[in-house]
Amino acid sequence: MTIALEAPAIDIRSLTKSYGTSVAVNNLSVAIPKGSIFGLLGTNGAGKTTTFKCILGLAQLTSGQVVFGGNPLRPEMFESISYMPEQPALYSCFTGRDHIDIARHSFARFDVARVQNLVALFGLDLRKKVRTLSKGQQSALALTLAFATRPEILVLDEPASGLDPVHQRNVLDLMIDAAAGGATVLFSSHQIGQVERAADHVAILHRGNLVLQGLVEDLKAEEKIVEATFEGDAPSFTELDRNPNVRRVMRQGRLVRAYVTGTGDGVVAAITAASPTSMRILDQNLEDIFLAAVGGK
Amino acid sequence: MPAIFTVDPHTGVPIYLQLIEQVKRSVALGVLAPGERLPTVKQLATDLTINPNTVARAYRDLERDGVIETSVGRGSFVSQNGAGDRAAAALADVASSTVDAAVREAKSMGLKRGQVREIFSKALERWYSPDGDAKEHNRS
Repeated sequence: MTIALEAPAIDIRSLTKSYGTSVAVNNLSVAIPKGSIFGLLGTNGAGKTTTFKCILGLAQLTSGQVVFGGNPLRPEMFESISYMPEQPALYSCFTGRDHIDIARHSFARFDVARVQNLVALFGLDLRKKVRTLSKGQQSALALTLAFATRPEILVLDEPASGLDPVHQRNVLDLMIDAAAGGATVLFSSHQIGQVERAADHVAILHRGNLVLQGLVEDLKAEEKIVEATFEGDAPSFTELDRNPNVRRVMRQGRLVRAYVTGTGDGVVAAITAASPTSMRILDQNLEDIFLAAVGGK
Repeated sequence: MPAIFTVDPHTGVPIYLQLIEQVKRSVALGVLAPGERLPTVKQLATDLTINPNTVARAYRDLERDGVIETSVGRGSFVSQNGAGDRAAAALADVASSTVDAAVREAKSMGLKRGQVREIFSKALERWYSPDGDAKEHNRS
Protein backbone atom coordinates (compact mmCIF):
# COMPACT_ATOMS: atom_id res chain seq x y z
CA MET A 1 0.00 0.00 0.00
CA THR A 2 1.16 3.46 -0.78
CA ILE A 3 0.89 5.72 2.22
CA ALA A 4 0.48 9.33 1.21
CA LEU A 5 2.79 11.18 3.56
CA GLU A 6 3.17 14.20 1.34
CA ALA A 7 0.87 16.31 -0.77
CA PRO A 8 0.09 14.78 -4.18
CA ALA A 9 2.32 15.99 -7.00
CA ILE A 10 -0.85 16.93 -8.86
CA ASP A 11 -4.18 17.20 -7.08
CA ILE A 12 -7.13 17.63 -9.43
CA ARG A 13 -10.15 18.79 -7.43
CA SER A 14 -13.62 18.74 -8.96
CA LEU A 15 -12.35 19.80 -12.36
CA THR A 16 -15.12 20.67 -14.80
CA LYS A 17 -14.53 22.00 -18.28
CA SER A 18 -17.41 22.96 -20.55
CA TYR A 19 -17.31 24.26 -24.08
CA GLY A 20 -20.66 26.01 -24.41
CA THR A 21 -23.26 23.44 -23.49
CA SER A 22 -20.96 20.50 -24.05
CA VAL A 23 -19.19 19.17 -20.96
CA ALA A 24 -15.72 17.87 -21.87
CA VAL A 25 -14.68 16.95 -18.33
CA ASN A 26 -17.24 16.54 -15.59
CA ASN A 27 -16.31 17.01 -11.92
CA LEU A 28 -13.03 15.11 -12.09
CA SER A 29 -11.18 14.52 -8.82
CA VAL A 30 -7.91 12.63 -9.00
CA ALA A 31 -4.78 12.77 -6.86
CA ILE A 32 -1.50 11.89 -8.54
CA PRO A 33 1.07 10.85 -5.93
CA LYS A 34 4.66 12.01 -6.17
CA GLY A 35 6.88 9.38 -7.78
CA SER A 36 4.00 7.60 -9.45
CA ILE A 37 3.38 6.83 -13.09
CA PHE A 38 -0.26 7.63 -13.63
CA GLY A 39 -1.95 6.32 -16.76
CA LEU A 40 -5.03 8.04 -18.12
CA LEU A 41 -7.15 5.80 -20.30
CA GLY A 42 -10.25 6.58 -22.28
CA THR A 43 -11.86 6.26 -25.67
CA ASN A 44 -11.53 9.10 -28.17
CA GLY A 45 -13.22 12.24 -26.90
CA ALA A 46 -13.21 10.98 -23.30
CA GLY A 47 -11.60 14.22 -22.08
CA LYS A 48 -7.96 13.19 -21.65
CA THR A 49 -6.37 16.00 -23.66
CA THR A 50 -8.75 18.58 -22.16
CA THR A 51 -7.76 17.37 -18.70
CA PHE A 52 -4.08 17.82 -19.53
CA LYS A 53 -4.68 21.32 -20.88
CA CYS A 54 -6.66 22.31 -17.78
CA ILE A 55 -3.95 20.94 -15.47
CA LEU A 56 -1.29 23.01 -17.20
CA GLY A 57 -3.31 26.19 -17.45
CA LEU A 58 -3.62 25.94 -21.23
CA ALA A 59 -7.40 25.89 -20.94
CA GLN A 60 -9.44 27.72 -18.38
CA LEU A 61 -11.33 25.59 -15.90
CA THR A 62 -15.09 26.07 -15.82
CA SER A 63 -14.93 25.09 -12.14
CA GLY A 64 -12.66 23.26 -9.73
CA GLN A 65 -8.94 23.64 -9.15
CA VAL A 66 -5.60 21.93 -9.72
CA VAL A 67 -2.92 22.03 -7.05
CA PHE A 68 0.75 21.03 -7.40
CA GLY A 69 2.37 19.73 -4.21
CA GLY A 70 -0.10 21.86 -2.25
CA ASN A 71 0.38 25.01 -4.34
CA PRO A 72 -1.47 26.50 -7.28
CA LEU A 73 0.40 26.57 -10.60
CA ARG A 74 2.92 29.41 -10.82
CA PRO A 75 5.05 30.43 -13.83
CA GLU A 76 8.34 29.41 -12.22
CA MET A 77 7.05 25.83 -11.92
CA PHE A 78 7.25 25.41 -15.69
CA GLU A 79 10.99 25.02 -15.30
CA SER A 80 10.34 21.64 -13.70
CA ILE A 81 7.27 20.55 -15.65
CA SER A 82 7.48 18.99 -19.10
CA TYR A 83 4.42 18.75 -21.29
CA MET A 84 4.29 16.82 -24.52
CA PRO A 85 1.06 17.55 -26.38
CA GLU A 86 -0.59 15.01 -28.65
CA GLN A 87 0.60 17.01 -31.66
CA PRO A 88 4.22 17.83 -30.73
CA ALA A 89 4.73 21.60 -30.59
CA LEU A 90 7.64 21.83 -33.04
CA TYR A 91 8.62 24.40 -35.66
CA SER A 92 8.37 22.71 -39.05
CA CYS A 93 11.15 24.75 -40.74
CA PHE A 94 13.62 24.39 -37.85
CA THR A 95 16.00 21.47 -37.41
CA GLY A 96 16.25 19.23 -34.38
CA ARG A 97 19.47 21.05 -33.48
CA ASP A 98 17.62 24.39 -33.58
CA HIS A 99 15.02 23.07 -31.16
CA ILE A 100 17.67 21.85 -28.77
CA ASP A 101 19.43 25.22 -28.90
CA ILE A 102 16.18 27.03 -28.13
CA ALA A 103 15.37 24.70 -25.23
CA ARG A 104 18.91 24.92 -23.86
CA HIS A 105 18.62 28.68 -23.56
CA SER A 106 15.11 28.51 -22.14
CA PHE A 107 15.64 26.00 -19.35
CA ALA A 108 18.30 26.28 -16.67
CA ARG A 109 17.87 22.57 -15.93
CA PHE A 110 18.59 21.58 -19.53
CA ASP A 111 21.08 18.71 -19.47
CA VAL A 112 23.25 18.61 -22.61
CA ALA A 113 24.81 15.24 -21.82
CA ARG A 114 21.36 13.77 -21.34
CA VAL A 115 20.26 15.12 -24.71
CA GLN A 116 23.13 13.31 -26.40
CA ASN A 117 22.02 10.05 -24.78
CA LEU A 118 18.41 10.59 -25.82
CA VAL A 119 19.35 11.52 -29.40
CA ALA A 120 21.43 8.34 -29.64
CA LEU A 121 18.64 6.30 -28.04
CA PHE A 122 16.08 7.45 -30.60
CA GLY A 123 18.56 7.56 -33.49
CA LEU A 124 17.63 11.16 -34.29
CA ASP A 125 19.27 13.09 -37.12
CA LEU A 126 19.40 16.61 -35.70
CA ARG A 127 20.34 18.20 -39.05
CA LYS A 128 16.94 17.47 -40.55
CA LYS A 129 14.16 20.01 -40.53
CA VAL A 130 11.09 18.96 -38.58
CA ARG A 131 8.87 18.94 -41.66
CA THR A 132 11.07 16.23 -43.22
CA LEU A 133 10.81 14.01 -40.11
CA SER A 134 8.35 11.15 -39.87
CA LYS A 135 5.59 11.28 -37.23
CA GLY A 136 7.61 8.90 -35.09
CA GLN A 137 10.79 10.97 -35.38
CA GLN A 138 8.85 14.10 -34.47
CA SER A 139 7.55 12.33 -31.37
CA ALA A 140 11.09 11.24 -30.56
CA LEU A 141 12.35 14.83 -30.83
CA ALA A 142 9.52 16.09 -28.62
CA LEU A 143 10.31 13.36 -26.08
CA THR A 144 14.00 14.25 -26.16
CA LEU A 145 13.10 17.85 -25.33
CA ALA A 146 10.62 16.75 -22.64
CA PHE A 147 13.09 14.52 -20.80
CA ALA A 148 16.17 16.71 -21.33
CA THR A 149 15.42 18.99 -18.38
CA ARG A 150 15.05 16.07 -15.95
CA PRO A 151 11.68 17.49 -14.93
CA GLU A 152 9.92 16.76 -11.65
CA ILE A 153 6.60 16.42 -13.43
CA LEU A 154 6.02 14.98 -16.90
CA VAL A 155 2.65 15.28 -18.62
CA LEU A 156 2.72 13.21 -21.79
CA ASP A 157 -0.24 13.03 -24.16
CA GLU A 158 0.08 9.84 -26.20
CA PRO A 159 3.88 9.84 -25.90
CA ALA A 160 4.43 6.65 -27.87
CA SER A 161 2.19 7.39 -30.83
CA GLY A 162 3.91 6.89 -34.15
CA LEU A 163 6.90 5.16 -32.58
CA ASP A 164 8.06 1.69 -33.55
CA PRO A 165 7.92 -1.04 -30.86
CA VAL A 166 11.58 -0.61 -29.89
CA HIS A 167 11.20 3.11 -29.30
CA GLN A 168 7.85 2.62 -27.59
CA ARG A 169 9.68 0.46 -25.08
CA ASN A 170 12.37 3.13 -24.77
CA VAL A 171 9.70 5.67 -23.83
CA LEU A 172 8.39 3.39 -21.10
CA ASP A 173 11.93 2.88 -19.83
CA LEU A 174 12.46 6.65 -19.71
CA MET A 175 9.26 7.09 -17.72
CA ILE A 176 10.24 4.30 -15.35
CA ASP A 177 13.72 5.74 -14.91
CA ALA A 178 12.23 9.18 -14.18
CA ALA A 179 9.77 7.79 -11.63
CA ALA A 180 12.50 5.73 -9.94
CA GLY A 181 14.36 9.02 -9.53
CA GLY A 182 11.34 10.58 -7.80
CA ALA A 183 9.67 12.33 -10.75
CA THR A 184 5.92 12.09 -11.34
CA VAL A 185 4.62 11.00 -14.72
CA LEU A 186 1.08 11.52 -15.99
CA PHE A 187 0.44 10.05 -19.41
CA SER A 188 -2.34 8.97 -21.71
CA SER A 189 -2.23 6.07 -24.12
CA HIS A 190 -4.54 4.06 -26.28
CA GLN A 191 -2.22 1.13 -25.81
CA ILE A 192 -3.47 -0.42 -22.61
CA GLY A 193 -0.46 -2.74 -22.55
CA GLN A 194 1.81 0.25 -21.99
CA VAL A 195 -0.26 1.44 -19.04
CA GLU A 196 -0.37 -2.10 -17.66
CA ARG A 197 3.42 -2.27 -17.76
CA ALA A 198 4.60 1.14 -16.69
CA ALA A 199 1.81 2.66 -14.61
CA ASP A 200 1.11 2.03 -10.95
CA HIS A 201 -2.05 4.17 -10.95
CA VAL A 202 -4.73 4.32 -13.60
CA ALA A 203 -7.83 6.39 -14.18
CA ILE A 204 -10.42 5.64 -16.83
CA LEU A 205 -12.39 8.50 -18.35
CA HIS A 206 -15.52 7.94 -20.37
CA ARG A 207 -17.38 10.83 -22.00
CA GLY A 208 -15.86 13.28 -19.54
CA ASN A 209 -16.65 11.21 -16.47
CA LEU A 210 -14.26 9.32 -14.25
CA VAL A 211 -15.55 5.74 -14.33
CA LEU A 212 -12.75 3.91 -12.52
CA GLN A 213 -9.48 4.69 -10.78
CA GLY A 214 -7.02 2.92 -8.55
CA LEU A 215 -3.78 1.00 -8.40
CA VAL A 216 -3.45 -1.22 -11.48
CA GLU A 217 -2.35 -4.12 -9.29
CA ASP A 218 -5.30 -3.74 -6.90
CA LEU A 219 -7.81 -3.49 -9.73
CA LYS A 220 -6.45 -6.72 -11.18
CA ALA A 221 -6.63 -8.42 -7.81
CA GLU A 222 -10.18 -7.20 -7.16
CA GLU A 223 -11.93 -7.42 -10.51
CA LYS A 224 -13.00 -10.98 -11.33
CA ILE A 225 -15.50 -12.76 -13.49
CA VAL A 226 -17.52 -15.62 -12.03
CA GLU A 227 -18.69 -17.75 -14.91
CA ALA A 228 -21.07 -20.67 -14.63
CA THR A 229 -23.02 -22.94 -16.95
CA PHE A 230 -26.28 -24.75 -16.26
CA GLU A 231 -28.05 -27.79 -17.61
CA GLY A 232 -30.90 -25.70 -18.98
CA ASP A 233 -31.22 -21.94 -19.28
CA ALA A 234 -29.31 -20.08 -16.60
CA PRO A 235 -31.43 -18.73 -13.71
CA SER A 236 -32.03 -14.98 -13.69
CA PHE A 237 -30.08 -14.31 -10.45
CA THR A 238 -31.97 -11.07 -9.84
CA GLU A 239 -30.59 -10.99 -6.28
CA LEU A 240 -27.10 -10.40 -7.72
CA ASP A 241 -28.25 -7.06 -9.13
CA ARG A 242 -28.67 -5.83 -5.55
CA ASN A 243 -25.19 -7.02 -4.52
CA PRO A 244 -22.89 -3.97 -4.32
CA ASN A 245 -19.91 -6.12 -5.34
CA VAL A 246 -21.50 -7.10 -8.63
CA ARG A 247 -20.87 -4.66 -11.48
CA ARG A 248 -23.13 -6.45 -13.92
CA VAL A 249 -24.50 -9.86 -14.78
CA MET A 250 -24.57 -11.27 -18.28
CA ARG A 251 -26.86 -14.16 -19.15
CA GLN A 252 -26.86 -16.02 -22.42
CA GLY A 253 -28.64 -19.33 -22.69
CA ARG A 254 -26.94 -21.77 -20.35
CA LEU A 255 -24.18 -19.36 -19.48
CA VAL A 256 -24.10 -16.72 -16.77
CA ARG A 257 -21.22 -14.36 -16.18
CA ALA A 258 -21.00 -12.01 -13.21
CA TYR A 259 -18.48 -9.18 -13.18
CA VAL A 260 -17.46 -8.97 -9.55
CA THR A 261 -15.34 -6.56 -7.57
CA GLY A 262 -13.78 -7.27 -4.19
CA THR A 263 -14.77 -10.56 -2.61
CA GLY A 264 -16.85 -12.71 -4.92
CA ASP A 265 -17.81 -15.08 -2.09
CA GLY A 266 -21.49 -14.11 -2.04
CA VAL A 267 -21.70 -14.50 -5.78
CA VAL A 268 -20.01 -17.89 -5.77
CA ALA A 269 -22.39 -19.03 -3.00
CA ALA A 270 -25.47 -17.77 -4.85
CA ILE A 271 -24.45 -19.47 -8.08
CA THR A 272 -23.38 -22.69 -6.35
CA ALA A 273 -26.82 -22.87 -4.70
CA ALA A 274 -28.37 -23.04 -8.16
CA SER A 275 -26.38 -26.24 -8.94
CA PRO A 276 -24.38 -25.19 -11.99
CA THR A 277 -22.78 -27.83 -14.23
CA SER A 278 -19.57 -25.82 -14.20
CA MET A 279 -18.22 -22.73 -12.50
CA ARG A 280 -14.93 -20.91 -12.74
CA ILE A 281 -13.41 -17.64 -11.60
CA LEU A 282 -11.53 -15.70 -14.24
CA ASP A 283 -8.89 -13.02 -13.79
CA GLN A 284 -9.23 -9.82 -15.76
CA ASN A 285 -6.35 -7.96 -17.30
CA LEU A 286 -6.44 -4.19 -17.65
CA GLU A 287 -7.96 -4.36 -21.11
CA ASP A 288 -10.88 -6.44 -19.79
CA ILE A 289 -11.31 -4.02 -16.91
CA PHE A 290 -11.16 -1.04 -19.25
CA LEU A 291 -13.70 -2.47 -21.69
CA ALA A 292 -16.07 -3.36 -18.85
CA ALA A 293 -15.71 0.15 -17.40
CA VAL A 294 -16.52 1.95 -20.63
CA GLY A 295 -19.24 -0.53 -21.53
CA GLY A 296 -17.42 -1.72 -24.64
CA LYS A 297 -18.02 -5.41 -24.03
CA MET B 1 23.27 -9.20 -12.80
CA PRO B 2 20.99 -10.47 -15.56
CA ALA B 3 17.27 -10.27 -14.97
CA ILE B 4 16.59 -13.66 -13.41
CA PHE B 5 12.91 -12.88 -13.10
CA THR B 6 10.30 -12.54 -15.78
CA VAL B 7 6.80 -11.16 -15.50
CA ASP B 8 3.79 -11.06 -17.76
CA PRO B 9 2.15 -7.66 -17.23
CA HIS B 10 -0.80 -8.50 -19.46
CA THR B 11 -2.44 -11.18 -17.34
CA GLY B 12 -4.96 -10.64 -14.57
CA VAL B 13 -2.36 -11.67 -11.98
CA PRO B 14 -0.81 -8.60 -10.31
CA ILE B 15 2.85 -8.16 -11.24
CA TYR B 16 3.99 -7.84 -7.63
CA LEU B 17 2.48 -11.25 -6.85
CA GLN B 18 4.28 -12.75 -9.85
CA LEU B 19 7.55 -11.28 -8.57
CA ILE B 20 7.00 -12.48 -5.01
CA GLU B 21 6.36 -16.02 -6.21
CA GLN B 22 9.46 -15.99 -8.41
CA VAL B 23 11.74 -14.68 -5.68
CA LYS B 24 10.39 -17.30 -3.26
CA ARG B 25 10.85 -20.00 -5.88
CA SER B 26 14.43 -18.90 -6.54
CA VAL B 27 15.21 -18.86 -2.82
CA ALA B 28 13.51 -22.20 -2.15
CA LEU B 29 15.41 -23.85 -5.02
CA GLY B 30 18.71 -22.25 -4.04
CA VAL B 31 19.02 -20.23 -7.24
CA LEU B 32 19.31 -17.29 -4.88
CA ALA B 33 21.58 -18.13 -1.95
CA PRO B 34 21.23 -16.77 1.59
CA GLY B 35 22.98 -13.42 1.77
CA GLU B 36 22.85 -12.93 -1.98
CA ARG B 37 22.09 -9.43 -3.14
CA LEU B 38 18.92 -8.74 -5.10
CA PRO B 39 18.81 -6.14 -7.85
CA THR B 40 17.80 -2.70 -6.65
CA VAL B 41 14.21 -1.58 -7.15
CA LYS B 42 15.28 0.77 -9.92
CA GLN B 43 17.41 -1.84 -11.64
CA LEU B 44 14.73 -4.51 -11.61
CA ALA B 45 12.05 -2.03 -12.71
CA THR B 46 14.22 -0.96 -15.63
CA ASP B 47 15.30 -4.51 -16.53
CA LEU B 48 11.71 -5.74 -16.68
CA THR B 49 10.15 -2.44 -17.83
CA ILE B 50 7.69 -2.35 -14.96
CA ASN B 51 6.71 0.29 -12.44
CA PRO B 52 9.27 0.90 -9.65
CA ASN B 53 6.53 1.18 -7.00
CA THR B 54 5.32 -2.28 -8.03
CA VAL B 55 8.80 -3.72 -7.46
CA ALA B 56 9.05 -1.88 -4.14
CA ARG B 57 5.72 -3.37 -3.09
CA ALA B 58 6.95 -6.89 -3.87
CA TYR B 59 10.15 -6.28 -1.89
CA ARG B 60 8.18 -4.92 1.10
CA ASP B 61 6.02 -8.04 1.18
CA LEU B 62 9.05 -10.33 0.82
CA GLU B 63 10.69 -8.50 3.70
CA ARG B 64 7.56 -8.86 5.82
CA ASP B 65 7.60 -12.60 5.07
CA GLY B 66 11.23 -12.83 6.19
CA VAL B 67 12.52 -13.96 2.81
CA ILE B 68 14.66 -10.90 2.17
CA GLU B 69 16.20 -8.16 4.27
CA THR B 70 16.72 -4.59 3.22
CA SER B 71 19.17 -2.19 4.78
CA VAL B 72 19.15 1.44 3.83
CA GLY B 73 22.00 2.29 1.50
CA ARG B 74 23.16 -1.32 1.09
CA GLY B 75 20.25 -2.82 -0.76
CA SER B 76 18.17 -5.98 -0.43
CA PHE B 77 19.56 -9.42 0.35
CA VAL B 78 18.20 -12.93 0.74
CA SER B 79 17.79 -13.51 4.49
CA GLN B 80 20.56 -15.51 6.11
CA ASN B 81 18.39 -17.50 8.48
CA GLY B 82 15.53 -19.69 7.38
CA ALA B 83 14.70 -17.80 4.21
CA GLY B 84 14.76 -21.07 2.24
CA ASP B 85 12.34 -22.80 4.63
CA ARG B 86 9.96 -19.86 4.66
CA ALA B 87 10.09 -19.61 0.89
CA ALA B 88 9.55 -23.36 0.56
CA ALA B 89 6.55 -23.20 2.89
CA ALA B 90 5.11 -20.32 0.88
CA LEU B 91 5.62 -22.25 -2.35
CA ALA B 92 3.88 -25.28 -0.85
CA ASP B 93 0.89 -22.97 -0.25
CA VAL B 94 1.01 -21.87 -3.87
CA ALA B 95 1.21 -25.48 -5.05
CA SER B 96 -1.66 -26.43 -2.76
CA SER B 97 -3.99 -23.74 -4.10
CA THR B 98 -3.00 -24.60 -7.68
CA VAL B 99 -3.91 -28.26 -7.13
CA ASP B 100 -7.10 -27.20 -5.35
CA ALA B 101 -8.12 -25.03 -8.29
CA ALA B 102 -7.36 -27.85 -10.71
CA VAL B 103 -9.56 -30.27 -8.76
CA ARG B 104 -12.37 -27.71 -8.57
CA GLU B 105 -12.09 -27.17 -12.32
CA ALA B 106 -12.16 -30.92 -12.99
CA LYS B 107 -15.24 -31.30 -10.77
CA SER B 108 -16.96 -28.43 -12.54
CA MET B 109 -16.38 -30.25 -15.82
CA GLY B 110 -18.37 -33.12 -14.44
CA LEU B 111 -15.50 -35.55 -13.80
CA LYS B 112 -16.04 -38.22 -11.15
CA ARG B 113 -13.74 -38.70 -8.17
CA GLY B 114 -12.19 -41.83 -9.68
CA GLN B 115 -11.43 -40.07 -12.95
CA VAL B 116 -9.69 -37.22 -11.17
CA ARG B 117 -7.72 -39.70 -9.07
CA GLU B 118 -6.60 -41.46 -12.26
CA ILE B 119 -5.44 -38.17 -13.78
CA PHE B 120 -3.48 -37.43 -10.65
CA SER B 121 -1.83 -40.84 -10.63
CA LYS B 122 -0.73 -40.39 -14.20
CA ALA B 123 0.65 -36.92 -13.49
CA LEU B 124 2.52 -38.22 -10.44
CA GLU B 125 4.00 -41.05 -12.50
CA ARG B 126 5.06 -38.67 -15.18
CA TRP B 127 6.76 -36.10 -12.97
CA TYR B 128 8.05 -38.08 -9.99
CA SER B 129 10.70 -40.78 -10.17
CA PRO B 130 9.40 -44.29 -9.28
CA ASP B 131 12.11 -44.73 -6.59
CA GLY B 132 10.13 -42.60 -4.22
CA ASP B 133 11.02 -39.52 -2.23
CA ALA B 134 14.67 -40.38 -1.67
CA LYS B 135 15.79 -39.51 -5.15
CA GLU B 136 13.57 -36.54 -5.66
CA HIS B 137 15.05 -33.12 -6.03
CA ASN B 138 16.33 -32.13 -2.64
CA ARG B 139 16.40 -28.56 -1.57
CA SER B 140 19.55 -27.63 0.29
